[in-house]
Amino acid sequence: MTAHAASTARALDTRPARPPAMPANVLTIALRELRDAVRSRWFLLYTLAFAALGLGVSYVSALGSGGAGLSGFGRTTAGLVNLVLLVVPLMALTAGAGSIASDRERGILAYLLAQPVSRFEVLLGKYFGLAGALLACLCLGVGACALVLALKGEATRPAAMLWLVGLAFGLSLGMLSLGMLVSVLARRASVAVGTAIFLWLALVFVSDLGLMAGALAFRLRIETLFALATANPLQVFKFWSLHSADATLDVLGPAGLYAVDTFGDHVVWLFTSVLAAWAVVPLAIAAVIFSRRAPV
Amino acid sequence: MNARMLQSRCAVFALVLGAAISGAVAQEHEVPAPLAARPATPRPLGAIGRALAAAPDGAVVEIGPGVYHEHLRITRPVTLVGVGMPVIDGGGSGDIVEIAAPEVTLRGFVIRNTGIDLDKENAAVRVLASRATIEDCVLEDILFGIDLRDAPDSVVRSNRIGGKRLDVARRGDGLRLWRADRTLVEGNTIHDGRDAILWYSKGVVVRGNVSHNCRYGLHLMYSDEVTIEGNRLERNSVGVYLMYSAGVELRRNLLVNNRGPSGYGIGLKETDRFVITDNVLSGNRVGVYIDGSPFTNKMPGMFRRNTLACNDIGVTFLPSARNNEFVDNNFIDNIEQVSVAGRGNLSANRFWVGERGNYWSDYTGYDQNRDGIGDFVHESQTLFENMMDREPKLRLFLFSPAQQAVEFVGRAVPSVRPEPKFVDEVPLMRPAEVGLNVRPERGALVRLGGVGAALLLVGGLVLGLARTPRDGQPANGGVA
Repeated sequence: MTAHAASTARALDTRPARPPAMPANVLTIALRELRDAVRSRWFLLYTLAFAALGLGVSYVSALGSGGAGLSGFGRTTAGLVNLVLLVVPLMALTAGAGSIASDRERGILAYLLAQPVSRFEVLLGKYFGLAGALLACLCLGVGACALVLALKGEATRPAAMLWLVGLAFGLSLGMLSLGMLVSVLARRASVAVGTAIFLWLALVFVSDLGLMAGALAFRLRIETLFALATANPLQVFKFWSLHSADATLDVLGPAGLYAVDTFGDHVVWLFTSVLAAWAVVPLAIAAVIFSRRAPV
Repeated sequence: MNARMLQSRCAVFALVLGAAISGAVAQEHEVPAPLAARPATPRPLGAIGRALAAAPDGAVVEIGPGVYHEHLRITRPVTLVGVGMPVIDGGGSGDIVEIAAPEVTLRGFVIRNTGIDLDKENAAVRVLASRATIEDCVLEDILFGIDLRDAPDSVVRSNRIGGKRLDVARRGDGLRLWRADRTLVEGNTIHDGRDAILWYSKGVVVRGNVSHNCRYGLHLMYSDEVTIEGNRLERNSVGVYLMYSAGVELRRNLLVNNRGPSGYGIGLKETDRFVITDNVLSGNRVGVYIDGSPFTNKMPGMFRRNTLACNDIGVTFLPSARNNEFVDNNFIDNIEQVSVAGRGNLSANRFWVGERGNYWSDYTGYDQNRDGIGDFVHESQTLFENMMDREPKLRLFLFSPAQQAVEFVGRAVPSVRPEPKFVDEVPLMRPAEVGLNVRPERGALVRLGGVGAALLLVGGLVLGLARTPRDGQPANGGVA
C-alpha cells in the first residue's frame, strides 16, 4: 500500500508534463472497466436475454420455413434485426448511463480521479471498456443464433450474421456514447438510468410512431420522411441491415426507392457518417462537460 | 472418321469437309463483304453456302471447325452439322442463318455477331418454314437469337443464346415463336436478351430451359395449350408473363430473384384455364401477379403445391381478379403474404377448398387435435399492412419495433382492426408436400455454423481475458 501511494505521488508530480490522453492509461482503465462490466449482473442478464430471445427467434423461424432452404430477407433476419433494435440500444444506453454516475455515487470516481490520469482518459477508457463488453455480448448472442440456424438447416447467409454483429456494434457505440453523456450530466445513478430508458423509448417507439403519424397526417414528402428517419441511428441500422442483406432498399417502398435513386451505392457513406456522428458527438460533449465540471 | 460413317453419308461430304477446312484458314483473314440489301442482290456464297448449293435434298452436310464469315440461306431440306463447333460470324450486320425450306436441321454451330438493327430484327437464326430443328448451337453477341416465323412443329433444343450487352430497350428477343404451333423448346439457356416470347403458337412445350438477366424469362401472347415445365428463370425482370392465353400449365418451375421494375415471378394477364402446380417462387418482388385472370369462368385458376417464399409480396391481386383457387401452397416469410392492389377484398377468390387450405408461416393458431389443420381460421388482417396499402410511404417503417407496436394495437383494439383481406378456414400446420424442393447446400450450412462458432469464440475470449485476475491486483480493481 505504501509503495502504491508513493508511486502515485511520483506520478502526480509529473502530471503537467503529460499529454492529454495516454493510450496506456486509456487501455488500463478500459481493461478495468471491461473486467468490471463482464462480472456485473447487468452484463450477464443482458447477454442471457439477448441470446435467449435470439435463439427463440431463430428456432421459431427455422420451424416456420419448414426447411425450405430458401434464403432472402426472410423472417429470420427480420426477426434478429427487430431484436437488435429492441435490446441493443437498451443495453448500451443503460450501460453508458450507469458508468460515470454510479462510480460517482459509490465514491469510486473520486478515487479514480485521484490517480495520475486525466478525466478524458477516464471517460475514454470507460467507453472502450464498455464497448468491448457489448461486443462480447453481441458475439455470444448472434453466434449462438448462427449455430442453431445451421443445425436447423436454415440457409441464412453467413455474411448476414457477420454484418448483423458489425452493424449492431456500430449502433451500440452510438447508444453507449449517448448513455455516457446522460451519465456525465446526471447527479444520481438512478436518474441517469431512468433518463436512458426514457431515451430508449423515444428512439425505438416514439420517433417512429411520430413519423408515421406525420406521414399520414401532414403528408410528409418522401425526402423529408427519409431525412427525418435517417437521423435516428436505429433506422440507419435497419436500413443498412437491409442493404447488406440483399442490396435493395426498395423493399421499403417509395422512400427506399428514393434513397436508391438519390444515393445509389453511396448510401453506405451516408449511413456510416450518421452512425459515426452518433458515436462521436455525444461522447465529445460528455468529455467537455466532464472535464469542466466538479466531478463528485 | 470411320468408313461406315462415310458410307452412310452422301458423296458430297468429303468434298465439303475438305473445302471447308481449307476455306476456314483463308476465311479468317478475309474481310467480309459489306451486307447488301437482301434479297435484291444475292451475296457471293461462302464455303458453307457452296457446300449447301452442291448438296441434294435430304443430304447431311458436315462442316469442319473454323471461322466462317458468311450469311447463309438454306432453301432445301438438309441437315447441316458442325463438327468441332465451327463459327459462323455475321460480321456485325444483318441476319446470319435463314432457313427457308421445311425439315432443315441445324446442329453444332457457334453463330455470332448479328447486326443491331431492331427495325429489321437482325437474327442469328431465322426460320421461315415448318419442322425445323435447331440444336446444340451457341449463339453469341446477337440481337435476336432464334426467330421462328410460321414454323410449326419445330424443335429448339439445347442451345445457348446470349444477347448483346445492350440497354434493355435496344435488345432483341433471345427466342421468338410466331405462329409456330406444337414446337418443342427444350434445354436451352437464354441470357442477356429481351424476351423469350411465344406469339399465336398453340400446343408448345417449353421444358427444362434456363433464363437469366433477360426482361421476360418467358412471355406468352395469345398462345394456347402451352406446357411450361421444369424451367429455371432467375434474375430476369419478370419470370413468366402469361398474357391473353388459355390452357396453360406451369409445373415444377423455379422462379427466383426476378426483381425488375415489375418483378413478378409469374404474371397473369387475362389468361384463362391455367393450372400452376409445384413451382418454387422465391425472392421475387411479387411472387404471383394476377390481373383479370382467369378471363372466363370456364375453370377456376388453379394454384396447387407451390412454394412462395421470401418474396416482397407473395401474391398480388388486382381487384378484377376472381375465381382463383389456392390449395396446398406454402406461403413462407413473404414480407406481405397477399396483397390487393387498390381497394377491395378477395372474397371472389378461394384460399381453401373442402378440408385443405394452405400453409402460412405467419399463422398464429395451434392444432390441439393433431390433425395437421389449425384449430382457428387464418385471417389476414394486420393493421400495418392495411396502413401500408393506403400510404405506401409507411413501408419505410417495416421491420421496426414501431411496426410491431402498431400490429399489437391492431390486434388488441377491435375498433381499429381492419377487415380481413381473406380467410383460410383450414390452414395447414406444416408446409405441404410439394413436387419441387430446394435444399440448402451443405457447404452453406457448414459455413454458417463456422461463423457461429467463431463468434462464440470471440465472445468467449473477451470473457476469458476479462475474467483472469491480474497478478498482485486486488479483485475489486485499483488503477495502476
